[in-house]
Amino acid sequence: MTKTDLAYHLQNIQHYYGNTKVLDINDLKIEKGSITGLIGPNGSGKSTLLKLLAFAEKPTRGHIFYEGHRVSAFSSSIRSKVTLLTQKPYLLKRTVFENIAYGLKIRKDKKNLENRVKRALLNVGLDYQTFASRKWHELSGGEAQRVAMAARLILKPEILLLDEPIASVDTESAGLIRDASLKARDSWGATLVIASHDLQWLYSISDKQLSIFKGNIFSTGMENIITGPFIKTNKKIFVKKVGAGQVIALKAPVPNTYTAAIIRKENISIALEKQPDKNRLNQLSGHIVSMLLEKKSGHIMAAIAVHDLSLILRLTPDQISSLDLFPGKKVILTFLSNDVEWI
Amino acid sequence: MDFIVAGFIKALELLISGDSSTWTAVWATLKVSTCSMLLSIGAGLPCGFLLGYFDFKGKKHLRTILDTMLALPTVFIGLAVYAIISRQGPLGDFGLLFTLTGIAIGQTILAFPIVTAITASTIENIDHDLKLTLVTLGAGKRHIVTTCLWEVRYGILAAAVTAYGRVLTEVGISMMVGGNIKYHTRTITTAIALETNKGLFADGIALGLVLIMIAFIVNLSLSFLRKQ
Repeated sequence: MTKTDLAYHLQNIQHYYGNTKVLDINDLKIEKGSITGLIGPNGSGKSTLLKLLAFAEKPTRGHIFYEGHRVSAFSSSIRSKVTLLTQKPYLLKRTVFENIAYGLKIRKDKKNLENRVKRALLNVGLDYQTFASRKWHELSGGEAQRVAMAARLILKPEILLLDEPIASVDTESAGLIRDASLKARDSWGATLVIASHDLQWLYSISDKQLSIFKGNIFSTGMENIITGPFIKTNKKIFVKKVGAGQVIALKAPVPNTYTAAIIRKENISIALEKQPDKNRLNQLSGHIVSMLLEKKSGHIMAAIAVHDLSLILRLTPDQISSLDLFPGKKVILTFLSNDVEWI
Repeated sequence: MDFIVAGFIKALELLISGDSSTWTAVWATLKVSTCSMLLSIGAGLPCGFLLGYFDFKGKKHLRTILDTMLALPTVFIGLAVYAIISRQGPLGDFGLLFTLTGIAIGQTILAFPIVTAITASTIENIDHDLKLTLVTLGAGKRHIVTTCLWEVRYGILAAAVTAYGRVLTEVGISMMVGGNIKYHTRTITTAIALETNKGLFADGIALGLVLIMIAFIVNLSLSFLRKQ
């Protein structure tokens, strides 16, 4: 990969809010024209990362390279190229037309304004005649989200950053936002970074997924994060109760200041029946709750609920057919106590 | 009770007949209060924006001083302005004492902290996502400032109306700095005070009605603007 194939290169990024470290990324590269999904629980640092990528905040430490050039936050050279749709998009107290045209107007780009607003609205499935003259307070949550999306799409940005774009919209709006995002990449080669809790939607749109937890990007793709409380049975083993009498025993961290454990999906096996007792082998009984197709690889991401804990596995189509797996089916998950990483 | 009813009737007669002493007081009031409002908005709006938008050392102390200024008695402002613009004062050479300009200076001092404080509070309460939205839509500093002000336009209008109400109804500054000179510096409020002292309730009520009408029109205009 040459330098110019990269939209972003983040080096040694650390970001603090007060004394709290919210982001710690050693090295992250994002290719031009790619769609990257960000996965992680609330407060993991997804929104902060998007703000840094939007150059709307200056990282406390480290550098962000855009197309091979070091760029500082709020730089005027970058403002017209990168745009971010925030989780709760703010609509200006104006009409829909004025909201969508705002970005172009401040760029003094008023050519064919009406037609461009019309096209932008059409891209997100809204009719110009019905919506252009509506005021900001006359829109539903989904419509407001789509208007905010249209206000970004009309700018034809090189980078489109979306923070939970479908958090408050219905299925139809979610589909329209996905189509509009894909069109941005296909029509003018936009690079997209999207944070979402809706894994099915995210997997249907993104080429690559990054898991983020406590400000660290620790893998590509979804991983299983098990948070405390843990019971220290002895110096070597930590135990997590998962309900219905089931427990997970994990090799204790050294030092024992870590608060969450990662069980990588490749270390978890799936079976239909329990194996004879083996030392240090966790065997959990659960049900498949969802199965998602990974667009690029053709693998299936299966989410298994073990009481109130959800674990993700990446399965091949052969595994699915040989075990005859389907949502609702009872399965046994097995993994070694040693196969744990503490964070 | 009869004298109040009779006062109302006489008041309407005075207003309809175009009584010169009544209408010159109305005109003087409108002129001086509009002038002081324009000055206080011109100075208070940018100061309020800076105070509300930026965090800086000493901001808290500045807010305390500003909040104290909100409660300044009009007679104290009148006294201070009198001292400054009287013959012996530092601005004595300008001959501003007992002029409408002198009253406007005092009323500007009265309205400035109101406009500044309400603007600052309005700006402070701006949705945090607004600035982020503007930055990510490509707005530069100038556009961020103008768009933020436009977004809180109703709050700023409320600041202006509140200050206008205070300026319109004050007596202390107009009386001390203006001197209540008939056909010259007599305003509605000083005229009401004088006429009531003289027992001429009708004149006082007439001017009071005009004052209420002005307040009503200002609030009606604000309400109309909000609907737009």
